[in-house]
Formats: sequence, structure tokens, C-alpha cells
Amino acid sequence: MAEYPVAVVEDLDSSYTQMMESITDYALIRLDGEGVVRSWHAGAEQLTGYTAEEIIGKPVGLFYTVEDAALGVAETDLHAAALSGRHETEGWRVAKDGAQVWASVVFTAMHAPAGGVRGYVMAARDLTQSRGKELNLRGVEQMVNSIADHEVIQIDRDGRVRSWNPGAQKLTGYAPEEVVGHHMSMFYTDDDARSSVLEREMMANAVRDGSAETEGWRLRKDGTRFWASIVLSPIRDDEGVVTGYVKVARDLTERREQERLVQQQRDEIMELSTPVIQVWDKVLILPIIGTLDSGRAARLTESLLERIAADQAEVVILDISGVPGIDSDVAQHLLETVEAARLMGTESILSGVRPDTAQSIVHLGIELGSLRSRTSLKDALRLALGLVRVRAEAGNGADVGV
Amino acid sequence: MEPTSVSEEIPIMRMGSDLLVTLQGDLGDQTVEALERDVTREVARTLARGILIDVSGLDVVDSFVARVLARLVRIVRLLGADAAIVGIRPAVAITLVELGASMSDVTTALNAEQGMARLRRMRAGGVRA
Amino acid sequence: MTAIAESPLDLIAGRPPDLLAISVVLIGGEADMLRVRSTMRACAQQAGLGLTATTKVVTAGSELARNILRYASGGQGEARIEEATSGLKRGVRAVFTDHGPGIADLDLAMRSGFSTAGSLGVGLPGSRRLVDEFTIDSVPGQGTRVAICQWGR
Repeated sequence: MAEYPVAVVEDLDSSYTQMMESITDYALIRLDGEGVVRSWHAGAEQLTGYTAEEIIGKPVGLFYTVEDAALGVAETDLHAAALSGRHETEGWRVAKDGAQVWASVVFTAMHAPAGGVRGYVMAARDLTQSRGKELNLRGVEQMVNSIADHEVIQIDRDGRVRSWNPGAQKLTGYAPEEVVGHHMSMFYTDDDARSSVLEREMMANAVRDGSAETEGWRLRKDGTRFWASIVLSPIRDDEGVVTGYVKVARDLTERREQERLVQQQRDEIMELSTPVIQVWDKVLILPIIGTLDSGRAARLTESLLERIAADQAEVVILDISGVPGIDSDVAQHLLETVEAARLMGTESILSGVRPDTAQSIVHLGIELGSLRSRTSLKDALRLALGLVRVRAEAGNGADVGV
Repeated sequence: MEPTSVSEEIPIMRMGSDLLVTLQGDLGDQTVEALERDVTREVARTLARGILIDVSGLDVVDSFVARVLARLVRIVRLLGADAAIVGIRPAVAITLVELGASMSDVTTALNAEQGMARLRRMRAGGVRA
Repeated sequence: MTAIAESPLDLIAGRPPDLLAISVVLIGGEADMLRVRSTMRACAQQAGLGLTATTKVVTAGSELARNILRYASGGQGEARIEEATSGLKRGVRAVFTDHGPGIADLDLAMRSGFSTAGSLGVGLPGSRRLVDEFTIDSVPGQGTRVAICQWGR
């Protein structure tokens, strides 16, 4: 790097020169009492594009924009520094090629022993890039602050809250000062004791997939719970290293409650449509109406077996006249229900078997085994009562004894 | 009804010419295997004509237990006695069917009372279980 | 159920110490099978599973634990049992791992009715029928991992 002629001020020595030359992202220049540039170095050239020959002896106003120069901003800055000793400012400056640079500038006044200002030191830094980022950030910040029904917050790599927004406050009841710096788990309910595992999983998934979603109970400040939908996305720096996460959450409690009610209604309808009827002592009838999928068959079997236990039933009639079509699956469900009832000591009879049903069963090769079947319910009942009677009579027989 | 022997924690009661074996709680595999041994011995010793195995105290019957029970029934039959498993709970019945644990040739009844009636019916009718 | 705390720190401090997130049962002996069943039963009850769903998942767990005991070399393995949540649902999740001989032909083993001299028997395909979710991974010579999940209503 070329040596720049440095205007000598008292006490300058070679180590100072070396230091100056090593500063490349700041411009540190000396101005005289009138604001004329008296020193220069590599960092200043980098910032402004001027070489020492071009700039030394020129006024500092050269760096200001045309508008600012007309307003006398340079003089104002120097004057402010002279008065208070140090003046900090930010603004657009102009480089040699006319490009505008957003600079952070600090003027320090150097006073003569006898009083008065003998010169200034001007330290300038290019903030153009970071200003762009800052503007973006400010825009994002404003946007986040305007979202009132979603929680949009930042958490750091360890799961601590770094930022808060009005939506988060509305959702949880916490003010920013109550949460910033605290760990995410403060929002987890007692049930979620595995919260630390959960959140590590989520963060890992977010890093791997770009985002991670979950739903779960979270805790408000007043102790009440709400059902939250949560999305976690990683924040990366310029090198792609994850520095934290953005968490967006919203309250789904109402929706969840609705879903639960719908499910409850569905269950109740299920119950109503398949009542188990006790017609005689120890005889139950289960009229099956409609299609029989595995879920429905399971529920049917459960309620039937519970009734068998409660009523001490010995025979159950499964009436399938209301079942539209018998296929292998339906037959399988029926046979499983029959076998489960048998394990509880109950005999089953199939009733409502129509001619086409009988044909389907045989054509499909379905083996009913020892399961008896009848066309009409009346016939099935007659058979059922016969079975019950046989059990009663034989059971009353005295034990022959040893 | 008097106790005839206790196989670890499994009580075997004698009722006339029949035996009632009551299983309850959570049974370890070794206990279940001992059951087969002990019940067989008791049937032979007492010349019992029927045994009831009451499983109403079991809330889980897996394929292993089901297999041992089915085996026990077959063994007891070879000794000239009738056997029935009673008290299979609804949830257990559903599970056994779905598990595919075959107990198809095992006589069953809702409870000990119905089981006894069943045993008598089988003897009276000359029909073996 | 949830206390109103003075500050967030109270919530963390007040968490009961015996609330286990994941229960791990090492399977090495018969007593461990009882532990597996009782742990799964407790977990199912905590998750609000009905009687039938509970019986089914505990039975499936019993089958899988027995497989480890009988057929993993040295009968060494473990069961990880925990409550599971997914949106509206709550349930029980259990993962059974062993470092036994593994299963060479998974398709065959999972086919209904497969049995080798009364060994695996109905265990694997039967267990699958009992639960809502069932996944099995096995590498011959390395071991087997079976994960099951049963949901409540």
C-alpha cells in the first residue's frame, strides 16, 4: 500500500502512522480550524474514492450532497463539534464518483491551549449496507407490530424469547418485559413435561426442513390454557448459520372445541343408530342398519359385548336385513363379532338373510361355520328361545356325582 | 367348596366333582406355565369330571396365555374331564379375536354359574365339550 | 389442573418431579414383561384411552415384549413408552427395540398365521391388527425395532 503524505500534527510518530494505515473500514481524517482536509489515509480513500493528492487542501464540504452543501450542513456540523467538543451525525455523503454513501460521522474538536479550535478529527463509517438492512428491519418490525391476532416472535438458539409483538401479548396476556429473555417453556402446560424434548425436536426439524409445525396446549399468564398452532422457522446469518428462530402462533381453541363437539355428535348419532334390544330374558337383538365399516363394526361389537355382560345374555340375534350388501369385509366383521360373543359364552343367530344375501355369501365362499341363520326375525327368535330353554333345562339337571 | 391346593397365587377350588381355577391380576409367564402343570395334576388326583377356568380377573390375555389355556383344555379332556373357560371380559374377547389367537375349540361361558350349568349339560347330554 | 402462577418461573419450578415424559423398560426377564404391561396400561389411562383400546395396546405390547424376551439374543431389549399427542388426539406410543438376530423375511413374518414352531406365532401380525399405527424395521444380525401407537377417541 502506498504511503500517504500525512499532515503532521504535534506528537505524531511512526506507530501512529502504522495504526492509521491498518484502519481500512473507517475514515479518520484531520481537518483544520476552517474544515479543510489536512490528513488522509487508505481507509478514507476506500470510503470516498479520493486519493490524498486529490483531497488534501480541499474543504470537508466536498463530501456533502449538493442539497446539504447549499444548506450549510458542513458548517453546522463543525460548529456543533466546536461547541460541545463532540458531534455525532448520520447522513448521505458523496464519493468521488458521485455515488451516495450513508455515513455515520463523528466530529471531535481539538482545542488550542490558548482557547479556540485549531482543528477537528472526523471519523466516518459507511453504513450504506447496514442501513439498507436496517430499513428492511424497520419495515418488518412495523409489520410485525401491526399483527394483532398472531404471535410473531423471535427466539434464540436456546429457546429464549428475544422479541415480542402485540399479537403475542393478546394471545398470552404477557407484556414484553415479562417474557423477553425467558425460556419458551414458560408457556408449556404441566402436561407437556416432555416440552424440552419437543422443542429440541421442533428446532431440529425447522433447521432440517425449513420450518416445523405443531399443535398443542399452551399457558396464558392467567393460568388458562389455549390450543395453539405453532410454526417455527430458522433465522440464518449471511453465512447460513442458524442464529435463532421465528415463531408464529395462533389460537385454535375455538376450532378445536368445534371439532370436539362435531366428533361428540357423531359418536352420539352412532350410538342412536345401533341400539341393542333385549327382547326376552337372556336374548338380545342387534339390528344392524346401513353399511358396516371396521370402525362401526368395532363400536357395535363393543356395545354388544357390554350388553351381554350386563344382561347375562345367552343368545344374540344379529339382524342384517338393514345391511345393503354383504361382501367379504362385512362378513368378516360379522364373523368376528360372533366369535367375540362366543368367547363370552353367547350363541349368535343371523337373521334377515335375504335370498340375494344367501347367494352372495355362498358365491363369495364365505364360511359361516356353525353360525345359524334365518330369514325372518320371528324364526330367529323362536330358535333363540329354544336355545335358552335347552340351556335352562339341562343346567337344572342334578349333578350325577362321583 | 374347599380349597384343594394353591399353585403359587392361583387358587384351585373343588366343587363336588368339578374344579374351579381362578386367575386374576397380572400373570407372569412362569406362573401361567405352572398353571398347566398344577391343574393337570389336580384333575388326575381328584378324578375331577369338569374344570372351569375363571379368567374374569384378567384384563389382558395375550396369545401366550390363550395358547396355554387352549392346551390345558385339550390335556384335561384327555384325562376324561370336561373343561370351560369362563369370564372372558368384553375388551379381552375383542382383543383375542383381533389377535387371531385361536380358541375355537374351547368351550366358554359368561361366568362360573353359567359355566357350571354348561358342564352339567354336557355330562347329561353325553356330549363332550 | 393448572395453577395460576405469580411469574413464569413458578410454572417451571412447580412441575411435579415424578411426571415421566418417556418410560424406558429394559427387557431382560419375566418381571420386565409385567412392568411393560403396567406401564403401558398407566400411560393409556393417562391418555384417556377407553377400555378396549387400552386392552388392545397393552396386549400388543405384551406380545412384542415377549418376542424380545424369547428371541432376541440374551433376551435383551427395551421398550420406550410415552404419551403421544397429535392435534385433537391423545394416545400411547411404544417402541420396542432389540439387538437380536433380526427377521430375515419381514413380509413372511408379517403375514397372518405365520408361525415357526410355535415361536413368533401370532405375535407380530396379530399385534399389528390391534393398534392404529405399526411400523417394523429389522436388519438380520443387528436387531429389530417395532413402533406402535394407539389413539383414543
